[in-house]
Amino acid sequence: MKRLFICILMLYGLNVLGFGKINVVTTYGYIADITQRIGGVEVSVSRLAAGSPDPHFITPKPSFIAKLRNADLLIINGGQLEIGWLPPVLLQANNPVINPGRPGFLSLMALVTPLDVHDDVSRAQGDVHPEGNPHIQLDPYHIPVFAQAVMEKLCQLAPGKCEIFRENYTTFEKRWLEKTALWEQKLSPLKGTKVVEYHKLYDYFFHRFKIEVAGTLEPLPGIPPTSRHIAGIIDLIKKQNITVIIQDVYHSSQTARFIAGKTGVKVVIIPHDIGAVKEVTDIFSLFDEIVGRLTGS
Amino acid sequence: MKYKYIIIILGFLLLSYFPHLPASTGQESLSDSRESAATADPFSQKKFLPNISFILDFSYVRRDLDQGFFEALEIPGFIHGHSHHEGHSHAGFNADKGFNLNYGELVLSSAVDPYFDLFTAFHLSESSFEIEEAYIESRSLPYGFRLKLGRFLSGFGRINSQHAHYWDFSDIPLVYRVFFGDHGLLEKGIQLNWVAPTAFYLGLGVECLQGTNENSFGTKNAALTDAGSGEPITLEKVPLPNTWNFFGKTSLDAGDLTLLAGVSYAFGQARLDHFADEENPHGFTGDSSILGVDFTAKYLLGSYTYLALQGEYLYRKMQGTRFLVHEAGIPAAVGIGKVSEEEHQHEEGHEVVGAPMTKKQSGLYVQGVFRFHRQWRLGARWDWLNRNNITLAGTLLNLPGQLNRYSVMVDFSPTEFSRIRLQYNHNGYAFHEEERKKYHEWVLQFNLAIGAHGAHSF
Repeated sequence: MKRLFICILMLYGLNVLGFGKINVVTTYGYIADITQRIGGVEVSVSRLAAGSPDPHFITPKPSFIAKLRNADLLIINGGQLEIGWLPPVLLQANNPVINPGRPGFLSLMALVTPLDVHDDVSRAQGDVHPEGNPHIQLDPYHIPVFAQAVMEKLCQLAPGKCEIFRENYTTFEKRWLEKTALWEQKLSPLKGTKVVEYHKLYDYFFHRFKIEVAGTLEPLPGIPPTSRHIAGIIDLIKKQNITVIIQDVYHSSQTARFIAGKTGVKVVIIPHDIGAVKEVTDIFSLFDEIVGRLTGS
Repeated sequence: MKYKYIIIILGFLLLSYFPHLPASTGQESLSDSRESAATADPFSQKKFLPNISFILDFSYVRRDLDQGFFEALEIPGFIHGHSHHEGHSHAGFNADKGFNLNYGELVLSSAVDPYFDLFTAFHLSESSFEIEEAYIESRSLPYGFRLKLGRFLSGFGRINSQHAHYWDFSDIPLVYRVFFGDHGLLEKGIQLNWVAPTAFYLGLGVECLQGTNENSFGTKNAALTDAGSGEPITLEKVPLPNTWNFFGKTSLDAGDLTLLAGVSYAFGQARLDHFADEENPHGFTGDSSILGVDFTAKYLLGSYTYLALQGEYLYRKMQGTRFLVHEAGIPAAVGIGKVSEEEHQHEEGHEVVGAPMTKKQSGLYVQGVFRFHRQWRLGARWDWLNRNNITLAGTLLNLPGQLNRYSVMVDFSPTEFSRIRLQYNHNGYAFHEEERKKYHEWVLQFNLAIGAHGAHSF
């Protein structure tokens, strides 16, 4: 019993060693990377969801409770992307500081203009999000907006270190805008072309670069492809001369490959977050990889 | 013609009551929408509606037993057939052959204010509307504490705090059914839980419960009269609240494997009043304690697929006096109950004889679930009541042990909101007139949820 007590005390001590740093927990990897870049050595960041699984369906492991229990700040994607897994662990974490509405909470969805906002929603329409398409991280112009919000939030929590955060933000924003111009240039030949995607996962990216999404393999959001719907998609691909199907890493690419076999269209697997494929290790390489795979370079 | 004037006045009032509706112009300008916003109900509280959801559980059952015969089945030492005691207001799920409307569950939940959350779950059957759970929870206690107050599913064990629609099988594990009933340990009380500030998950909790569970606890003393002396029997008063439960849970991740383990210990007074039973009316008064150990391993194979193994072992010890109604025929071993030394405080009670009794019983279940497709799962479960030792008046009763049930299920979930499950049970635990009666059971279950229903925990 005494030994157990000492053991617990020591583990508690390990946590206390991090004292002075702001303990940030983020739901997804891209938020963790942005936060780390803005916070630098002043923050300790951990993420809950791994990069490869479907971001809608993360298993709410008890280890998440432990992470959230000790957090000073929780940053989420929002737009109900986390609604299927975060609320129970957030409740069980018994940490009022990071609850919605408190200073230790930040949701990024509210910072951008959402696509596909639905006034009237019904579950008969599939897995729709009333606040709009929640996959906001794939518009490169959103990233500095998020970074600025993170900077402001960190400044609010640690006003004494605000200068450092502001400096980090300025450096990051400059480098990001340079890279964005480069990506834009590389993607310009694709402007006006049409693609088919599995789920409405890349809409913000294609919307930004004026690539039209002609259809999705899912008949409705979150509903697996049906043979009738696939027949329609094959028809669409033939009629509109679509040359590429965009596939994510977590759905089976079986359907896309089937359609490719019927139509000769190319299947391109595109990462959606850090860690989705091994080449993507940070927010820069995420977009490098997407642009590279789309342009075939 | 006085009525003419009355009609005219009424007509006038009616016309002036309904405001004049402007003719539609066919197109709405900005000023129109601004005007409608300005005249919208300024006291509307629509945005403050709580989360509302409704769950329906419906099943079709086939069983190779006559319905009346099935209802008379018992599990010797645990559950007797045809029970009509207090608190047993609705039957278990899938009770009838053919169609069953098992339950409707209406859930309302919301934040009350910055300090409290309120959660209510109403359990509806065809003829009853019951509060299953209704509790408030603290939102802002510091240092990792959370307080729960009201009527709730106890944090005992693994499966107890889960609602029925979240179970992996269409019925509760056998060991839970015999120790706590078809709804588990569901009590009024208070729970304080604490999450340790450790790098891994460690949660501890304590509950103080009213302790009215019909199978293992109970608070009401029945009015009893000693059959030998004719004097009323005075039983030790039950402290209210009556039951305590302590539990701890911890978890570790190893790559895609997540392990969760827990220990629970519940204890309190037991007052079982089965005097209204048709056969063998009896009662029990004494102490009861239950130890539970649970273990879960879940291996994630992908976003939508996993392998999960879950098991729980429960051990119950009950010690006290068993009272048998005099007319019911008295076993040779039965002694005489405690005779009242106090004044007559009971009304005319059941004429009984009492004998010291000790129950040491345990059971376990192990289940494996394989979600091999986003919409499909396969599962198998083994229920085993392995220990059934009852000593009555110093004599070990000859009761059957090794009571088993084997179940397999396959379920199909078109979305997270609907589930269709086919389950087969091979039941080898039930007895009819001291003879084991094996039977087969098929359940086709439909479980659907609408509205704003919260996500489930691990």
